[in-house]
Amino acid sequence: MAEFLTAKELAIKVSICLVVLMVVMCLCALVGTQNISMGKVFSGPGQKPGENIDYEILVRVRLPRVILAALVGAALACSGVVLQAILRNPLADPYILGISSGAGLGVIIAILSGISWSFWGGSPIGIFAFAGALITVWLVWYIGHFTGKSQVTSLLLAGVVVNAFFSAIIMFLTSIAKSEQVYSTIFWLMGNITEKDLSILWFSAGCILAGIIVLFTVCHSLNVLALGHEEAIGLGVDVARTRIVAFACAAFVTAIAVSLSGLIGFVGLIIPHGVRLTFGPDHRQLLPLSAIIGASFLVIADTIARIIVAPAQLPVGIITAIAGGPFFLILLAKYSRKVSWLK
Amino acid sequence: MNAIIKVENLSFGYTPQNTILKDISFEVIQGKFLAIAGPNGAGKTTLLNLLCGLLRPKAGCIRIDAVPVESYSVKKLAQKVAVVRQEFVPVFDFTVAQMVSMARTPYLGTFGFEDKTDKQMVNKALEATDTAQFALRALGSLSGGERQRVFIARALAANSPVLLLDEPTSFLDLKHQVGIYDLLKTAQLEKGKTIVAVTHDINLAAQYCDEILLLGADGNYHIGETKDVLSREQIEKVFGVRTFVGRLGQEKFFIPLGKFAKDSEQIASKPHNIQQEQKQ
Repeated sequence: MAEFLTAKELAIKVSICLVVLMVVMCLCALVGTQNISMGKVFSGPGQKPGENIDYEILVRVRLPRVILAALVGAALACSGVVLQAILRNPLADPYILGISSGAGLGVIIAILSGISWSFWGGSPIGIFAFAGALITVWLVWYIGHFTGKSQVTSLLLAGVVVNAFFSAIIMFLTSIAKSEQVYSTIFWLMGNITEKDLSILWFSAGCILAGIIVLFTVCHSLNVLALGHEEAIGLGVDVARTRIVAFACAAFVTAIAVSLSGLIGFVGLIIPHGVRLTFGPDHRQLLPLSAIIGASFLVIADTIARIIVAPAQLPVGIITAIAGGPFFLILLAKYSRKVSWLK
Repeated sequence: MNAIIKVENLSFGYTPQNTILKDISFEVIQGKFLAIAGPNGAGKTTLLNLLCGLLRPKAGCIRIDAVPVESYSVKKLAQKVAVVRQEFVPVFDFTVAQMVSMARTPYLGTFGFEDKTDKQMVNKALEATDTAQFALRALGSLSGGERQRVFIARALAANSPVLLLDEPTSFLDLKHQVGIYDLLKTAQLEKGKTIVAVTHDINLAAQYCDEILLLGADGNYHIGETKDVLSREQIEKVFGVRTFVGRLGQEKFFIPLGKFAKDSEQIASKPHNIQQEQKQ
């Protein structure tokens, strides 16, 4: 007799993972160069601002940062799951379709042009990154559909070409930039989680959650789409609609993540694979579990980045790349035996 | 007699200058087993892709259950027609049960969870194809023949009245070829499925199919009962190869004779040779 994934079984798994995420977030919020006392935190903010330092550190510094890491981790992991399914490529990550170079180009333009206006109390760099990422994804999608009928191959090739072209422009702009501008750009490109205003966080959380919910509605279609275009049509999937919804939502949540934290690599690659190896390839559970486990992973990685060279801090992208590099090689070895085009 | 598939004056080409299928008309009666055979490039798979709505005709019309194929939504068409292509290993390690349950896609709700009926259909299909024992194994861990049985289980789980198959026994050994056709014939006889199978194997077609559509590379075609259409002259004309036609009891069989076959001209000109020898 076959076993089927039920809504109840999925709800139990999601609930357990959510509890683990909450525990991880709480523990990571307590860890840092400055020890904080929970007793003092629970006594409240005090009469005057800054009176209770422990409360201020936990609530205004560490919690927003932990929430931000969780949001970015969830968005990147979900995007990785979806792009691997639509492109039928286990080595696809959220940046494969040019989002990284588009966002990078947006950022370097913002830095070089010396824009001084602020957006929502913060730097406009995030807005430029968001716009750059979405414009690039649209360009890749357009070229991919314009150039050929085999949309998967065309999309991948368009992504590679646009990435290469934009990277060349980034290199050119970097070569003519002043040294402090170059430093800002490189630091952003390495991926960095810094404190953000809580209102930005809640707004971003709403957008990312909405994106994940929409993606969840196409998860069963993604299972079928992962078998190929012809198979999916034969099994009753509206391939064009599913691809557009999945691609647009994945690009949207990735662009938000990139605008919040820069380019953090490997999360969108290793988390979907880790979850797939543990729980199987069914996207109905792969997507929500990847979101939660991706969030936990990035919260832990960011905590390590905060404390490993304290009082200095490392960009979190370095930690994820160190953890992700060897894992990527293992994946490559595993899939090269199985996937014909890697043989 | 109710024709579940009706093809009227169908023409198709991948480019405006090139026409692969020219003015083809035929119908398939509900519950019949039709083979589509012909040389490479004659348009067999193209015709199958037109029947399942993957391609749109350049001219003419295809009706499934009296409704033009293009009038169906993708979902509704999948409820009418199940397609089995050559077996393959998916990129991700789906289990056999997961693969078969994908047949229920057109019946699922917003979040895509199977209900009681879906589960029953999947389990019945697994049992009918003797693949229940593999239900929890990854599809990639099975042999080619076992995988093809899983794909047929998936087609049966769709519970559609029409099954379309594209060379379902390519790359399979003799035992598995016969096993797959036995499965299909059982589905036809016991469940009343209408089956259309593209095949290169005219011996299997002669044995299992009620009718055959022979597509020639020149655009000509012949359709009718297999015993009538599959003659030495017809096969030699369509495939362009000298053929020996034998008869063993009720079954006709065909052996293509290459230029190195000894006395090929003499053998080919003596039909029913085996039967004659047996009588002696």
